[in-house]
Amino acid sequence: MILKLLRQATPYWFLLPGLFILGTLLSVPLYKVIEYSLYDNVIIEPDPTFVGLQNYADMLGDSGYWSALFNTAVFTIGSVVGHLLVGTILAMLVNADIHPKARTVFRSLLILPWIFTAVVVALNWQLLLNPFGVVNYALQSIGLVSEPLDWLGDPDLAMWSLLIISTWRGYPFIMVSFLSGLQSIPSELYEAADIDGANFFHKFWHVTVPQLKPVIYGVALLDLIWTFQLFPLVWLTTGGGPGRSTEVLSTLTYRLAFVDFEFSRASTAAVTILGISAIFTMLYLINESRNRT
Amino acid sequence: MSNIAIRNLVKRYGAIQVLHGIDIDMQPGQFTVLVGPSGCGKSTTLRMIAGLESVSSGEIIIGDRVVNDLRPKDRGIAMVFQNYALYPAKTVYQNMAFSLKLARVPADEIDKRVRDVADILELHELLERKPGALSGGQRQRVAMGRAIVRNPEVFLFDEPLSNLDAKLRGQMRAEIKLLHQRLKNTIVYVTHDQVEAMTLADQIVVMRGGVIEQQGTPDEIFHDPANEFVAGFMGSPPMNIADAVVDKGGIRMGESVLACQIPSGVAEGDSLRFGMRPDDIHLCDGSVVPGVRSRVIVDLVEQLGTEKLVHFKLDGVPVIGKADGRAVIQAGDSVEMAFDTEQAFFFNPDNGGRIR
Amino acid sequence: MKPKMKGLVASVLLALGSSQAHAATQIEWLQWFAAEQNADFYDTIVEEFEAANPDITVKLVTQPFGKVRESIVTNRAIGVGSDVLGLNMPWTSEFLDMKILEPLDEYLARDDKGFEVDRLVQAPIGKINGSTWMVPLNAFPFVMHVNRGLLQKAGFDKAPENWEELKSMAIAISALEDGTSGIGMPFSSQPPANGPILTFLPLLYTAGGRIVDGIEPDFDNPDVVKTLTFLQELNAAGALAPGAASRTGGVDLEEFIAGRTGFLISPAVHARAIVARNPELEYELVRVPVLNKEAYRVHGWELGMAADSKHKEEAWKFISFLMSGDVNGRMAAAASALPGNLDALGEDSGEDPIFTAQRNILENDESVEELRQAPKTVASWSVMTEEIQSMLAGDQTPQQAASRVQARWLELLN
Repeated sequence: MILKLLRQATPYWFLLPGLFILGTLLSVPLYKVIEYSLYDNVIIEPDPTFVGLQNYADMLGDSGYWSALFNTAVFTIGSVVGHLLVGTILAMLVNADIHPKARTVFRSLLILPWIFTAVVVALNWQLLLNPFGVVNYALQSIGLVSEPLDWLGDPDLAMWSLLIISTWRGYPFIMVSFLSGLQSIPSELYEAADIDGANFFHKFWHVTVPQLKPVIYGVALLDLIWTFQLFPLVWLTTGGGPGRSTEVLSTLTYRLAFVDFEFSRASTAAVTILGISAIFTMLYLINESRNRT
Repeated sequence: MSNIAIRNLVKRYGAIQVLHGIDIDMQPGQFTVLVGPSGCGKSTTLRMIAGLESVSSGEIIIGDRVVNDLRPKDRGIAMVFQNYALYPAKTVYQNMAFSLKLARVPADEIDKRVRDVADILELHELLERKPGALSGGQRQRVAMGRAIVRNPEVFLFDEPLSNLDAKLRGQMRAEIKLLHQRLKNTIVYVTHDQVEAMTLADQIVVMRGGVIEQQGTPDEIFHDPANEFVAGFMGSPPMNIADAVVDKGGIRMGESVLACQIPSGVAEGDSLRFGMRPDDIHLCDGSVVPGVRSRVIVDLVEQLGTEKLVHFKLDGVPVIGKADGRAVIQAGDSVEMAFDTEQAFFFNPDNGGRIR
Repeated sequence: MKPKMKGLVASVLLALGSSQAHAATQIEWLQWFAAEQNADFYDTIVEEFEAANPDITVKLVTQPFGKVRESIVTNRAIGVGSDVLGLNMPWTSEFLDMKILEPLDEYLARDDKGFEVDRLVQAPIGKINGSTWMVPLNAFPFVMHVNRGLLQKAGFDKAPENWEELKSMAIAISALEDGTSGIGMPFSSQPPANGPILTFLPLLYTAGGRIVDGIEPDFDNPDVVKTLTFLQELNAAGALAPGAASRTGGVDLEEFIAGRTGFLISPAVHARAIVARNPELEYELVRVPVLNKEAYRVHGWELGMAADSKHKEEAWKFISFLMSGDVNGRMAAAASALPGNLDALGEDSGEDPIFTAQRNILENDESVEELRQAPKTVASWSVMTEEIQSMLAGDQTPQQAASRVQARWLELLN
């Protein structure tokens, strides 16, 4: 009897080390951050005082927080829309019926932005978008602008530039996810649509989109979760500037923690990121379990 | 209803040529079946008629228009695919209405036409279902409904029954035939199944390797095959065909000699291919059967019900003959088989051509 | 016993024996210096020290510059702080608030150290809250790098000595052709967003101005406004490289090396990179153009001691070793800097004009360093950066920018 129980327990013994490591690596910091957010100036003060929800109340009254939240929404939604648009178009292009070798080359090239680290991406785009950079040179030579634009330094352009960079950086994930989806669509459906008189857009809307639908929702949510808390790309390209025009929640948190050494306020901001991410994650998990059944 | 004319049609994929200049004429309202083994070019021909494949050279004429450069939707055709190709996210109704919506047909007319077709095909119970919730036969019917609703000049069928089980296949075959009798559209139908070809067609086109081996009515194809390939391909079980040498007053296969009428143009000692359908080789069981008799040992008996297939060897060559379903016969028996040499076929051993 | 086993046992015994014999104290040295260049050199220095002091071992903990400030704070919070700390002067007031640093006055008063206090570069050892908190391992004066080629093309044969000359020459260089600018101003928000302390402060000091009064922010004073106004005039006259609000310090340096800007205000230490990377450049190093006071912003790598170190005597021994004439000179050379101990400067052979120019600045001009006592310094640069961006974009006047910085800086302190 006991032997049998022990034998049944065997798989759980193997799980134990993993669960332990995951548990401590995740739950301890999680707990600490929430705890910090309830204290006054932790780490700096050897003896912090418990202030309850005061940090949260302060944050809700801080226009800087709201503007970061707004920027985060703009950046996240803009990026996800950009990823979906570019990713879908490129997925369809690299799924096109061309020479297999050329197709392999295009697929490999187009996946590259995903492979670079954020530092490399940030540096490259800074060079490209420099007032003396290639982008301005090209725009000037075709006469689209007369004066070089300071893409990352003009408060009116910085968020747009960031969205372009983020789109460039993030589309391959969508492209790859959709490509496998596209490849599973039988070509007969497109032929049937051809005979039914469908043009390119009809086919996209009535054949491609419905076939990709199960993929689209999950992938978009996943992308949303990642982009929402994206830190390095923003921090390394604009640093939240000029002014605070591209400050998002993640950069605000970092600034509060490691520039201002306001660890409690940083934890408070981090907890709100956690909360919002948790909601998205929940939606994602619900969607996944629905797809499985 | 339109006629279709195909003139010297060629298809190349790069350096590889898959259609070598074929010509077919189809009369208005005629049911034409393209049949042949896989890779013979029958599906390619159909897809070129549909406009899903480009024409390398030659002409396709539907009605009085050359349609080579027309888009599929402008050719007045509708097509039923092997895997049905129903839009999975749309209901049966939406599947059938889709082409009409794209053509901006008024909504009330769409509704009328879809419901009329649903009546014909007994689909009205299923209109709000999605394809995923239908059985294979139902999907097949929806696919046909989607084609019919467009009221096309020409129906194209690409192996529409090959995904169905045997029983359903027979039933759907009959439905298609009935439908044709009712709608009287021109139909081009591709299959590799010679039974479908025989039962459905007004005209059969037998293809192999990108060329037409023979085209004609089912009777002509079956009873007057142009060559050894057509003779062997049509009919089940297939025609018995073996090497033979012309002998005095007959032909000789190994040691056995069969007395028969020798076609003119061959001389004694010439090699040829000798063919005879199983239907023309009968067990001598007392009743009067025509033909030359030969005693053989039975290898195998297959009971089909109304008749039995009798497998035996004639001088080492495997042969299939027939016996009445009630005949008492089993493997190992020594029996007499009668060869109705009136019905024998002779083919040129070099090119397979018929020797008459 | 197999030979391998024998060896193992022997070495274990040896290790036990040696640790019992010496019971060496280990101290930790957290710094970024070895991450910058000549990493091996720092191992050699440590070995040298350990050879002379067999009872002390030094553990070299090297991190990138951007990480060290965080590490000092967070390591201390969880009780694993190092004993000897590499310090950047702007961090001082934060660290004093957190009581991280040990006052050095008592140690500096001793006789057994390897250097003279009055021969050190003075600014870093200035007292805050009545004490000295750090000693200068080396020093970088802020200077102006000049592209003489562009200067001559624009019709001048001598580097600018005052603001007026700087302005007219920068305007002339900007007017030369597409792609050249007089001078760059790196006011990007990208971290560390330190553009103002790289370029604005050195100019301010030559006007005799300051941004703190004691340890209080004092940004809205007339000297600051005067200097901001000068920046605005340069901008309005087209003397600045375009894109100041997205220009990082790194880009500013690269553009100068590539020969696209006439002037660059930055630490003298950049001279080596400039000459090495673009030998074609007709290069000269001069003092930052002066409005009315020959003063330079001094920067450098400092050494301090952790207040909660358990081995302060050993830590001080190591600091004293690093500051001693010979070692300090080699440390400076390894970092391409000037030594913090002026006795290590050596003789000037007069063969290297770059070295001579720096030496003159270091020995004759007033060294200014106020970021040590400036409160919330690092956060204050971001504020300065953002308000100067806004001023250059034409959204506010220099006076408004100065007032806004002052107000926001004070807000940070609450």
